[in-house]
Amino acid sequence: MKLSVNSIQGFNKLYGTTGDVAADGIDKLVEKIGAQLGAVEEVVDFGSKYKDVVVAKVVSCRKHENSDHLSICTIDDGGVVADVARDQDSYVQVVCGAPNVREGITVAWLPPGSTVPESAGKEPFVLLARAIRGEISNGMLASIRELALGDDHAGILEIADDIKPGTLFADYYNLQDDKVIDIENKMFTHRPDCFGFLGVSRELAGIQGMAFKSPDWYQLSPEFPTIEADELSLTVHNEIPELVPRFTAITMSNITVGPSPLWLVIELTKVGLRSINNIVDYTNFFMLETGQPLHAYDYDKVKALDGGDAAHIVVRYPRDNERIELLNGKVINPRQEAIMIATQTQPIGIAGVMGGASTETDEHTKNIILESANFDMYSVRRTGMAHGLFTDALTRFNKGQSPLQNLAVLAKVVDEIRQFAGGKVTSAVIDNNNLPAAVMERASLHPAIPITVDFINERLGSSLSADQIKVLLENVECTVAVDGDKLDVAAPFWRTDIETREDVVEEVGRLDGFDKLPLVLPKRTITPAKKDNLFESKRKIRQALSKAGANEVLTYSFVHGNLFEKVGQDKSQAFELSNALSPDLQYYRLSLTPSLLEKVHPNVKAGYDEFALFEIGTVHGKAETDEQGLPKEFGRIALVWAAGPKVVAHKYEGAPFYEARKFVVDLLSDHITLQKLRFVPLVVADYAGHELFQQMLAPYEPDRSAVLYDGERLIGVVGEYKRSVAKSLKLPDYCAGFELFLSAFNSSKGSSYVALPRFPKVSQDITFKVPVNLPYQELYNLVWDELGKAQPERTFPSLSTVGIYQRDDDTAHKQVTFHLSIASYEKTLTGTEVSKLFKTIALVAKDKFGAKWV
Amino acid sequence: MAAASGTILSNMNYQYPKIAEAAELLKARAASLENKADILKAVELRALYGEIATLPVDERANFGKEINTLKAELEQLVAASQNEAEALPPIDITAPFDTNVAADKRPKLLPSEAGSIHPLMQELETVLDIFYRMGFTAIESRELDDEYHMFSSLNFPDGHPARDEFDTFMTVQQDHNGHPLIAPAHTSIMQNRMLRAHADNLAKGEPIAVVIPGRVFRNEDLDARHEHTFYQFEGLYVDKGVNAGNLLATFKTFLSEYYQQDIEIKSQPFYFPFTEPSFELALSCPFCQKKGCNICSQSGWIELLGMGMIHPNVLREGGVDPEVYTGFAWGCGLDRLVMMKYGIEDVRHFESARLDFLRQFV
Repeated sequence: MKLSVNSIQGFNKLYGTTGDVAADGIDKLVEKIGAQLGAVEEVVDFGSKYKDVVVAKVVSCRKHENSDHLSICTIDDGGVVADVARDQDSYVQVVCGAPNVREGITVAWLPPGSTVPESAGKEPFVLLARAIRGEISNGMLASIRELALGDDHAGILEIADDIKPGTLFADYYNLQDDKVIDIENKMFTHRPDCFGFLGVSRELAGIQGMAFKSPDWYQLSPEFPTIEADELSLTVHNEIPELVPRFTAITMSNITVGPSPLWLVIELTKVGLRSINNIVDYTNFFMLETGQPLHAYDYDKVKALDGGDAAHIVVRYPRDNERIELLNGKVINPRQEAIMIATQTQPIGIAGVMGGASTETDEHTKNIILESANFDMYSVRRTGMAHGLFTDALTRFNKGQSPLQNLAVLAKVVDEIRQFAGGKVTSAVIDNNNLPAAVMERASLHPAIPITVDFINERLGSSLSADQIKVLLENVECTVAVDGDKLDVAAPFWRTDIETREDVVEEVGRLDGFDKLPLVLPKRTITPAKKDNLFESKRKIRQALSKAGANEVLTYSFVHGNLFEKVGQDKSQAFELSNALSPDLQYYRLSLTPSLLEKVHPNVKAGYDEFALFEIGTVHGKAETDEQGLPKEFGRIALVWAAGPKVVAHKYEGAPFYEARKFVVDLLSDHITLQKLRFVPLVVADYAGHELFQQMLAPYEPDRSAVLYDGERLIGVVGEYKRSVAKSLKLPDYCAGFELFLSAFNSSKGSSYVALPRFPKVSQDITFKVPVNLPYQELYNLVWDELGKAQPERTFPSLSTVGIYQRDDDTAHKQVTFHLSIASYEKTLTGTEVSKLFKTIALVAKDKFGAKWV
Repeated sequence: MAAASGTILSNMNYQYPKIAEAAELLKARAASLENKADILKAVELRALYGEIATLPVDERANFGKEINTLKAELEQLVAASQNEAEALPPIDITAPFDTNVAADKRPKLLPSEAGSIHPLMQELETVLDIFYRMGFTAIESRELDDEYHMFSSLNFPDGHPARDEFDTFMTVQQDHNGHPLIAPAHTSIMQNRMLRAHADNLAKGEPIAVVIPGRVFRNEDLDARHEHTFYQFEGLYVDKGVNAGNLLATFKTFLSEYYQQDIEIKSQPFYFPFTEPSFELALSCPFCQKKGCNICSQSGWIELLGMGMIHPNVLREGGVDPEVYTGFAWGCGLDRLVMMKYGIEDVRHFESARLDFLRQFV
């Protein structure tokens, strides 16, 4: 929302507001707006480019002898400009090429040394006294375009106002040092009144403790002139009062469509609007002033469409397959729920959005219909969005303007057009008013709000008195009745937003200044805040994995559809985005691993030989929704380790699987009892019905991956990736990883302690030769279990694995060597005792697995 | 061809006897070939292509299509055999290391100094720790939600223009009410849930004090300053007698603790449907002590977040009586805090997974 500070000061003075809103300077005003109204986007210097422009009168004008179009003029500037050559009458000579220059007209003179306003802020063009074809021209006479007030460059500006020669242009038109302040619209989403100069001016006064006074014409029930020429009859029929609470209109004749008065052109230019003609400009200006959009129809065109002797307006839904050509030349099929303005036979506008081309006012228009109406904000907003139409009118209508100001604005425009465009009122005002009677009676959209001083102070933390509150609210023209501690606050007719007590609290707090509130922390009990286990486990995971040399990454929750194909996931399981700007964001991901795999190759390319990336994230699948139909969210932790051939050559041997296994065991050791951790061969079919888990398994190679269990609880997968996955994502040969459910981490087991034996431990290795297909874990478990059964009383054993070997000449077997340490709490154990223990274990191992003790 | 169709072709039925015969022949031969790729160079296949020109014009297209299908089938056969040839043997997934691997070549973790925690997550831990010490419990926000929690429960009436301020991602799939699901554009989606989940706090005379971090999404084009994915932390505090001054004081206290210096704050009125009054909060620049620097654009102040007193409709919708209780809420971006702290120039680094970036944050 843009507004000129000078204009506001001007009408504040005119209408009787106390004080000057910019008394402390623009900087202070901007600061004040920031603190109490909303963000200022920018402050534009509008006035300074006019500082040297002088109003002058052309005293004489003759043809330039050496030119077919130039004229040599003498102008009267009242003698105000210094350092300029003058003739005996003290007039100044200016050469002018405009066809309309002539004796007697009042013009805008740019004296030597001044800058052409049009060039200000670009490449400043500074005027001189110089000879044009032998005749001295002291500066120039300016056109509308050179004054940066429009596009007209056919001739120089002829000032119609009666101004004394020598008056500074900026003084007469109130442009001295004028600044245009642009306040962010977002702040006014709920403040339709602040889409008008009046609304913002009222706020500027209110936040500075000044009493704002609205103009007298801005009233609930204005008087309209009686019919003063031949009647132009108009009927209005509103078929959808639920969407059109109020529709007011009036007809006028004898209009002279033409250029607008200069003050109006200037006011529109200040806020970035173009002058079109006086009728359009008046309706636009009063929209800017009040927030209420207006529309002018050509009466004769409206009447002609129905072919009768009166004009008819029907407010209705569109008919089937109806089409309308709009003012911008577009032809559209309005959406079914659009509000149409029509004659009895055809549409002439889309309410709240844009008028139709067929009834546009133009230079031939003599008779008009003026409309000031109120439309359902939601409906017009949807219509605008549906057709991609965004207009100044829609911006205001879709905030929900007050229907109580329709007549005031209509009456004001009628008055202006009567005075300045020759218009005569030719009908009674039509007021199709569907508002509840109570609203009209109390002259306010919402009932007065009963509130107490305490209610306000309790919510703000302030200590305002009833009288202070009353003054703050009355400054912006609320009506406040005080009865001790109780207040009754009635909002003025233009305020749509003051409905609840909290709205009053906001109003009071803002007008007083939130920066005045005492900063006091809340008082509360000292009950400790509950810890969230999830954050706690995430923190531990991060610490453990970063300590293990892995790097935490964050990747997008959305993936491209072809990533699913690359890793063999079923995209029909994934939630699909319908409106993403980029194809990289087509689906919610089904697991984290594919996103990590995508990041491997770029890092290899960036020169990293070995690294592990991990991510903690959330996944969704269509198969998993809760009772409310909301997708369930699953926390996951995934890691991918990758190494290049050079690193592998000197650091590793064997399958990459074991590296991933190392990471996962290291991570899990803080959270679960490792004895309960089981590695089970990956057979996808076993997880039928667990759709999301199956999708998580998809990238993993079944022969070289394991499903992980904590006891009976499924917790994830660890392994190498399928060849096809490795190929399509350009993974190095040495690459493996895991993905686990975050829920596996929700209990922290902590450390357990066993008292230390006082006697020294005895250590010995034992090697078994077993069939090559016997899983290592089964042998380990057997040894550990048997150790537990056979260990002497009150001893403390520990078992580790030294090696797994296979001889070249015996591929049917492998040899596993364990290292046993055992200590007693009672005595020093002997080698014989350990050997005896081994014998017992070996017997069982032989019996069960055909294991041979070697 | 095979990649484009994406379907597995095997034992296709070919309409043209000539093609069917050739298919059988070539597949049989492929089975015996050492290098299966040679089958694609078979003369029979080339001969079939040669035949197209001899056919009546209206049959050429169909015949040609069938040869292409045959060729695709053979290509898949070759690819499958190559995958098979490259497939590695099964391993004992229960063992801690592979067979015949010397002790010094067995799996090992990477050096600690190579490890890193993501800067956003480091910062989040710092933030949560401060709020935890201030008595706030934490819960994570959702990444996929419904229209009710995104808008309706937060006092955004259907069709309200304030909904336009959020460029939300929506899904093809719908919720029970026929609305698309929504990628949350703010962590405020959790307000209603938290009010309900912690109702018993109020009954016990204790406040609801929660901080809610999470991922949020805006459907925007990416550039150095715009991400479609970023992090926020929401705060929620409800009790008897909570006021706007409390809100400002709470955030001033947090900021001063976070920056380890006395921070000044400036509030600017704002409009959010779910708070009344609403503010945008600016803090005195902690990097230059208000003298003016690049981070604060020489202004001495940094606009940081939106906040306000929870709207009575939001409390009511969450089962809290606004006549008895009042509260405040805020939503603060995490990415911005981290970018300012380290001088990170491009927001896209955060989700890039580039080790060049990540390993700078130990």
